[in-house]
Amino acid sequence: MRLFGFRRLAAICLAAIAAAAAGASTSLLGVCGPFTDTTNDTFCPFVLEIFTLGITTGTTPTTFSPSDNVTRLQMAAFLSRTVDRVLDRGSRRAALEMFWRIQNPVRLSTTSVGDLPRGVASDGADIWVANRDSGTVSRVRGSDGRLLDTWTGATNADQFVVAIGRVLLTGQTSPGRLYQVRAAQPAGAVSTVASNLGDDSIGIAFDGVRIWTANFSGPSVSIVTPGLVVPWTVTTVGTGFTAPTGALFDGSNVWVTDFTVGKLFKLDAAGAILQTVTVGTQPAFPVFDGGNLWVPNIGSSSVSVVRAATGVVLATLTGNGLNQPQFASFDGERVLVTSPAGDMLSLWKAADFSPIGSYATGIGNGPTAVCNDGVSFWVALSGVDALARF
Amino acid sequence: MRLRRFAAVLTAVLALFAGGAAGLLGTCGPFTDMANDLFCPFVLEIFYLGITTGTTATTYSPGDSVSRLQMAAFLSRTVDSVLLRGSRRARLNQFWTTQAATALGVTEVGLTPQFVKSDCTDLWVSDPGLQIVARVRGSDGAVLESWTSGINPRGVLVASGRVFIAANTNPGRMYMIDPSEPVGSVTTVSTALGVFPQTLTYDGSNIWSANSGGSVSIITPGGPPPWTVTTVTAGFSQPNGTLFDGANVWVTDFGAQRLFKLDGNGAILQTVTLGSGLAWPAFDGTNIWAPGGGSVWVVRASTGAVLATLTDNGLTNVQQAAFDGRRVLVTSGSDHRLALWKAADLTAIGSLDTGAGTSPLGACSDGKDFWVALSGAGGLARF
Repeated sequence: MRLFGFRRLAAICLAAIAAAAAGASTSLLGVCGPFTDTTNDTFCPFVLEIFTLGITTGTTPTTFSPSDNVTRLQMAAFLSRTVDRVLDRGSRRAALEMFWRIQNPVRLSTTSVGDLPRGVASDGADIWVANRDSGTVSRVRGSDGRLLDTWTGATNADQFVVAIGRVLLTGQTSPGRLYQVRAAQPAGAVSTVASNLGDDSIGIAFDGVRIWTANFSGPSVSIVTPGLVVPWTVTTVGTGFTAPTGALFDGSNVWVTDFTVGKLFKLDAAGAILQTVTVGTQPAFPVFDGGNLWVPNIGSSSVSVVRAATGVVLATLTGNGLNQPQFASFDGERVLVTSPAGDMLSLWKAADFSPIGSYATGIGNGPTAVCNDGVSFWVALSGVDALARF
Repeated sequence: MRLRRFAAVLTAVLALFAGGAAGLLGTCGPFTDMANDLFCPFVLEIFYLGITTGTTATTYSPGDSVSRLQMAAFLSRTVDSVLLRGSRRARLNQFWTTQAATALGVTEVGLTPQFVKSDCTDLWVSDPGLQIVARVRGSDGAVLESWTSGINPRGVLVASGRVFIAANTNPGRMYMIDPSEPVGSVTTVSTALGVFPQTLTYDGSNIWSANSGGSVSIITPGGPPPWTVTTVTAGFSQPNGTLFDGANVWVTDFGAQRLFKLDGNGAILQTVTLGSGLAWPAFDGTNIWAPGGGSVWVVRASTGAVLATLTDNGLTNVQQAAFDGRRVLVTSGSDHRLALWKAADLTAIGSLDTGAGTSPLGACSDGKDFWVALSGAGGLARF
């Protein structure tokens, strides 16, 4: 194929493999890139691609051993590197040349919001913040952090889900409430679409049809069916729950953490408990990374990583700055966990659970809820009534 | 699983009819030597994605071992397929590459726009001609704001919710914009950078400037200006471009014709000898693309090894490289051309003439489009 000028292999002088030492180089002219045992035929571009990407280094600096079979161990290395390279390059941060991580709290760019921000969510462009004490909802533009709108009337606003073109949030009231913001409308008062949820609704999830809330004091789970008129239909299930806290949907099932008993429950479509997973003490607000659930445990200062498909606890993570962690968020490559008690943010590589680092947000900042907009993590600093970009 | 099995059967049936009377009904998609078992959906997925074509049109040879050569093909196609499908352009059904200068979307910006960076929604363009920094909306190319800068705004950096601009002055300066504030004048956060700053980068803690007067400055963001600056001169001749690879800051040195890897204090950790005309590089997550003169050097960041010297695109005056997740674009001023490479295997995709006198200089990606400052035409082009 010929595209506006040329389409051919570049004149790749792949032989020049410079030594790491300053300016020194040892040129090794191979047949296919640096490899002397691989023919420059139709397979060579494939070999060059995985060499360029660092997926293979060859069996030696000058040999690829093309006829050798691949062991399962080698295959694991190749697949792991492939996943890493694809995720690295496919992220929006790579295209925006953002290869850094914020190292210091004074670098955190913050936006002042309402009193005691407790929940955050992104709609893809703007960040929504639930301010519990002021009963308001702040809308912050993701590109520059400007406060755009403030909505009122959201008593004890807590957690969000952005779905069906609307911003939905729980009210930790008794009975619990579900509020709705129509983002396309001028800012004003939120509308209450249900006021008969179980007591103290906090966690919230959407399964594609219905909204689920975890009601701490209910103790129960409420299933809300959106309708054309308010109030929306609510079904509340209490069997088996002690103190439901966080909720999420993994593409197949809703999961709920139970704070008091240290359990994670997998639910069926009617809210019945299908599976019980023992996690750490006082599990709070988890996140799903597409394969696994990351559950912050406040009481045991740990994070349980649970395979959604089986319910098996793959790892229990400790250290890395965890100090009574509460919330977790996933950005496609990494998981960020907030520890308000220690004013810390903890970061892991999601693919292999390796710790990336921990970051102090400043004494008294109290990082709580966190979300990601595809470029940055956004953290509610409940101690200083602000939203920070990380 | 049921859906996948149904899809397997349907594919086989379709293959039968599409292929005419001689069609063979496979047991797993087109493959007759595969059981329709738990592994079949995986085989079908890599067949549909074009990662495998089978050992023949109707056989997959599931019991055979995979050679390293075959594995290379599978992995290479996997990377290409995932990056293509996962891109923003794929989601927007934009699979084209602009083929003519008349198809570039050009926004008139200032007199001599130099460098451009995206905040993921808007573009920020430095223009020393009018001494402004323009904000252009990425979705439609409208000029939203023009911030009054000091003299000679040059390299742009978007980091930590702010826009930073290097001022090409002696001594050097750095300006800052808080984009959430109403448009006005930039804030000068330092007037003590090394001589003639060109471009900026950020390491998550400090901002770094490459100063063509022969130094690198490390600026520590703080409270009210002036911010603390440390300038390092040892080993530098004419630093030009700079980038951060997630672990280290790198600097291209025009005078020394070298690429330097720096430690956290600005000392040179590693020297990679390249060639003349070194300008403004880009990092693709694994490799550094350093344009200079008529070449683009591709350097592995983890080792400093020069993987390739790309020379056959006919360019003679390459300026800045930018990476969009799959492709690397390089501007060439006096050639008035833009050149594209596939970043994963360094193959050339093509080049485009932007028109005589347009002098493309700075470039960036917003994750969907490349944006190029046409310094000779007072424009910002979407590519």
